[in-house]
Amino acid sequence: MRRTMLIVVILFFAVSSQVLAQMNAETIVKNAFDYWRGEASVSTSIMTIHRSDWERSMTIKTWTRGESDSLFVITKPAKDRGNGTLKTGNGMWMYNPKVNRVIKLPPSMMSQGWQGSDFSNNDLAKSDSLIKDYVHTLEGTKADQGKNIYLIKSMPKPDAPVIWGMIKLSIREDNILLSEAFFDEDFKAVKIMTAWDIRKTSDKLFPMKWKMQKSDAIDEYTQFVYEKIDFIKSLRKTIFTRANLKNSGL
Amino acid sequence: MSIELKMAWRNIWRNPRRTLLTIAAIAFASMILVFMLSFQLGCYETMINTSVKISTGHLQVQAKGYLDDKKIRLVIKDPDQVAKVLDTVKGIDAYTFRASGFSLVSSNKRTYGVVVIGIDPIKEARVSTIKSLIRKGNYLKKDDEYTALIGEHLSNNLKVDINDELIILGQGRDGSIAAAVLTIKGIFDSGIDEFDRNVIMMGLKGFQETFSMGKSVHETIITADSLGDVARVKQEIKACFANAREDGYLAVPDWMEIMPGLLQGIQMDLVSGIIMYIILIIVVAFSIFNTFLMAVFERTREFGVMMAIGTSPLRMTKLVMFESICMTTVGIVLGIIVGSLVTLYFQNKGIYIAGTEDILKQYGIPDRLYPRLSLISASAGPLIVFMITFVSSVFPVLKLRKLKPVEAMTKG
Amino acid sequence: MYAVLAWRNIWRNPRRTIVILLAVIIGVWSMIFLGALMRGMETEMVRNSISTLTGSIQIHHKGYRNDPVVENSMEDTDKLDKALNTTLGQGALWAKRVRVNAIASNARHSGGVTLVGIEPEKEAYISFVGKAMISGRYLTSEDKNKIVVGRAFLKKFNTKIGNKLILMSQDTQKEIVSRAFRIVGIFSAESESVEKQFVFVPLSQAMGMLKMRKSISEVSILLPELDISGKEEALAAKRLTAAIADDTYRVETWQQLLPMMKAYLEMSGFFLYIWYFVVFVAMGFGIVNTTLMAIFERMREFGLMKALGMRPFQIIKGVVTETFFLLVLGILTGNILGFLSVAAIAKNGIDLSVLAAGVEMWGIPRKLYPEIWVQDIAVAGLVVLILGLLVSLYPAFKAARFTPIQAMRKY
Repeated sequence: MRRTMLIVVILFFAVSSQVLAQMNAETIVKNAFDYWRGEASVSTSIMTIHRSDWERSMTIKTWTRGESDSLFVITKPAKDRGNGTLKTGNGMWMYNPKVNRVIKLPPSMMSQGWQGSDFSNNDLAKSDSLIKDYVHTLEGTKADQGKNIYLIKSMPKPDAPVIWGMIKLSIREDNILLSEAFFDEDFKAVKIMTAWDIRKTSDKLFPMKWKMQKSDAIDEYTQFVYEKIDFIKSLRKTIFTRANLKNSGL
Repeated sequence: MSIELKMAWRNIWRNPRRTLLTIAAIAFASMILVFMLSFQLGCYETMINTSVKISTGHLQVQAKGYLDDKKIRLVIKDPDQVAKVLDTVKGIDAYTFRASGFSLVSSNKRTYGVVVIGIDPIKEARVSTIKSLIRKGNYLKKDDEYTALIGEHLSNNLKVDINDELIILGQGRDGSIAAAVLTIKGIFDSGIDEFDRNVIMMGLKGFQETFSMGKSVHETIITADSLGDVARVKQEIKACFANAREDGYLAVPDWMEIMPGLLQGIQMDLVSGIIMYIILIIVVAFSIFNTFLMAVFERTREFGVMMAIGTSPLRMTKLVMFESICMTTVGIVLGIIVGSLVTLYFQNKGIYIAGTEDILKQYGIPDRLYPRLSLISASAGPLIVFMITFVSSVFPVLKLRKLKPVEAMTKG
Repeated sequence: MYAVLAWRNIWRNPRRTIVILLAVIIGVWSMIFLGALMRGMETEMVRNSISTLTGSIQIHHKGYRNDPVVENSMEDTDKLDKALNTTLGQGALWAKRVRVNAIASNARHSGGVTLVGIEPEKEAYISFVGKAMISGRYLTSEDKNKIVVGRAFLKKFNTKIGNKLILMSQDTQKEIVSRAFRIVGIFSAESESVEKQFVFVPLSQAMGMLKMRKSISEVSILLPELDISGKEEALAAKRLTAAIADDTYRVETWQQLLPMMKAYLEMSGFFLYIWYFVVFVAMGFGIVNTTLMAIFERMREFGLMKALGMRPFQIIKGVVTETFFLLVLGILTGNILGFLSVAAIAKNGIDLSVLAAGVEMWGIPRKLYPEIWVQDIAVAGLVVLILGLLVSLYPAFKAARFTPIQAMRKY
């Protein structure tokens, strides 16, 4: 009788630790995601696109709200000033001041890089895909500078419309996303996003430098450097409308 | 030598009707071959020239790799340099520069993905037929930068007409957003559905500005003076580029590399044509075989006498061969002359084949087809006729050698 | 009487007769053989196109062909079903499809394709997809989120069976929709561009993804027999149009869907018959020449016949009858040779895949199967016979003019 109970208890822990592992991984990812997005944020950053024979930089003002609304507007250089991209729900719109038109992005543009960067329009449109479309498992932890870093493997749910075969995340115990690696279905790395230069901003720590790097071309990457990022409680919904995209107050 | 020839000539005219019929048969075959070959080659030339004039040109100068993958970053950095080189090469009829990029085009009602091509209106009119394909509105003028030409199908799909505005949105050479508003100036109809549905043309300067190209372009389209000049022109351009190191990244593909299907289609057609011609010649050969046979057998007695008085078999063989050669040569020459005249007549007037307008229009070929007389078309066919007739005249001659004089003389 | 004499006469000089016979035989054989090759190519081209989704007849919303978007769909499928069931006869098969442009992507590649939602069982009977699988398996209507792609597509996207493909398009609400499909089968087609362009999913999946409810893009119909003149199909289409009685729907035959093909077929026929004429003229010289030689040889005989009281007309008749036998013999043998040579090739066909790029561009089939058309045999035979008899009139008249004195003087 006692033995059976022992076995049951052990099994229970074994099973639940699996479930716990998964649950834990999901919680970790969700927390990291919420931490990254905040409830709402306003930021200014400089994006640099680097290729083997040229480099391009632009200054971008970004508003985010909740898990899925985002507004990006380019402020520098003067040539691209006023160009904006709005993402709400599932749709993405672009505005160009020169033609003074808001155009909805059709499927054929979705896999193209946003503004020519290594972040595809799809990456931006499906920014909450990590939460919705993947099943996460904790693979392990490692220690770095006194902090624990969770290594998580994310596999796409069977019917999820995502092109990746696997994503690997490393998230610090204080919910900071350190890296996100994208793999194809043969589990070969395609690109990797890394974040570093963690500093205090508003009231929390946040990595100020981000880089999206192609795995098979060392000198092709896109780098984001935050000049300023403020996490706030809320932003008006009207900011994330097409009308505002057009007159983003610039 | 000449006595056999003289005798041969006299011999064949001993039976004028038969000789004339034989000559007529050979002349007919030669004439048909000259005309048909000229027609076939003329058609090919027309097809090639028309196809290349619509968009690809006889040859092009592009960045290496552009042919396989049209990335907007694979540019010709300094078109002026290329122009300098081309101006020194002989055999070039005209050239122009183009730049292109995949973009979204948006009207009030619809949005489509298209290829936007920036053209130099003046130079382009000399190289391609686009100006003549405008059905509505006008062609672009020299300083037009933000006006556009679109295909008929595209204008229908976008539900726009002349003077309507289109927005194009794409990605520039440096990755930035390329956006512009274009006013529709002209609508063209090339007959090629793919082209009419997916292409918008605008001024090159406007394109370069919109797509952040600076002064670079993607393609240099070159038309040579004639199809035959293409290979030489290509060599010369390549040599010039090899010398100037900055231009070492440029490739010079010709129309055969750009449109391999066209070449293969023509090759296949040529092969099938040749098979038909050979069959025709064989039929003619059998047709006249009897003549050559008769020429020997009817005169068995005569040959017997000749052998009896000491003519060597070799000399007799020579005689008979000369007879055949004379008839054949007269026939061929006659055929070439008549065939060339007929060809030249149609080369001028063109041949109109009822019911083929649609299929020709699809390939942009004018509805009249023109045969083209050339050295090859005038001689290749008759030459083969000559060879095959020659072969068929050999057989009776072989019999000749086996003749015994006494037998022969008594045959009568 | 004439017949027996004529027959014996031509065999008096066997060698000469055989030589001219050979000319006729080769000429007729070439007419039959080349004609068969050409007709075979034509039929194969049409069959190919029909099998590559065109079908004998198609029904669309009237705006669909110019603008193949989701909005131009047919909603009233019940009306269509009824019309199809009542007007099309036994043996006609049809299937419904959804066909839109979409973007296919995976982790490393992205490109435009034509997404075709099919009823797998029905589609197998009317187009090439069902039998074209070279790897994996075909679709079933119960499949959820499974897709079948072409071999060249697989190569271009560097992927394999079992991998995902995300398809993105615009639905009826003008929203962007995307869905993940798994590749279960690979098909091969006549041309690489077909393999690269078309991807197939079950109809219900396409409808669901695009929020089409019950609307469809097209109905494709395969009639049991291919009528290369297009008339049968046109008749059927007319009956269908009347039965549907709705002018937002358009019924079109393959001839209307492929006008280029129609034009090409007409042109080929024209050229073939010109060729027949040319070959005949080549033969014709020989026939005249040979017959002339023959009658001159028999000048004495003809003079004698005249002296015995034979009328000129009868002599002409005699000569023409000789030629007649010659021609008939040549035509028959030529035909037999033609049939034999066509039969020899018909089994395996001629492989044209060497000229792959030309095949792509001109839509020429990869394998050529010769096909003998009765009308070609008839035309060839008639051309040779009638024209042959006509040209034999010249020597015939000459023969009739020999006077007994001329004849006797000769020898």
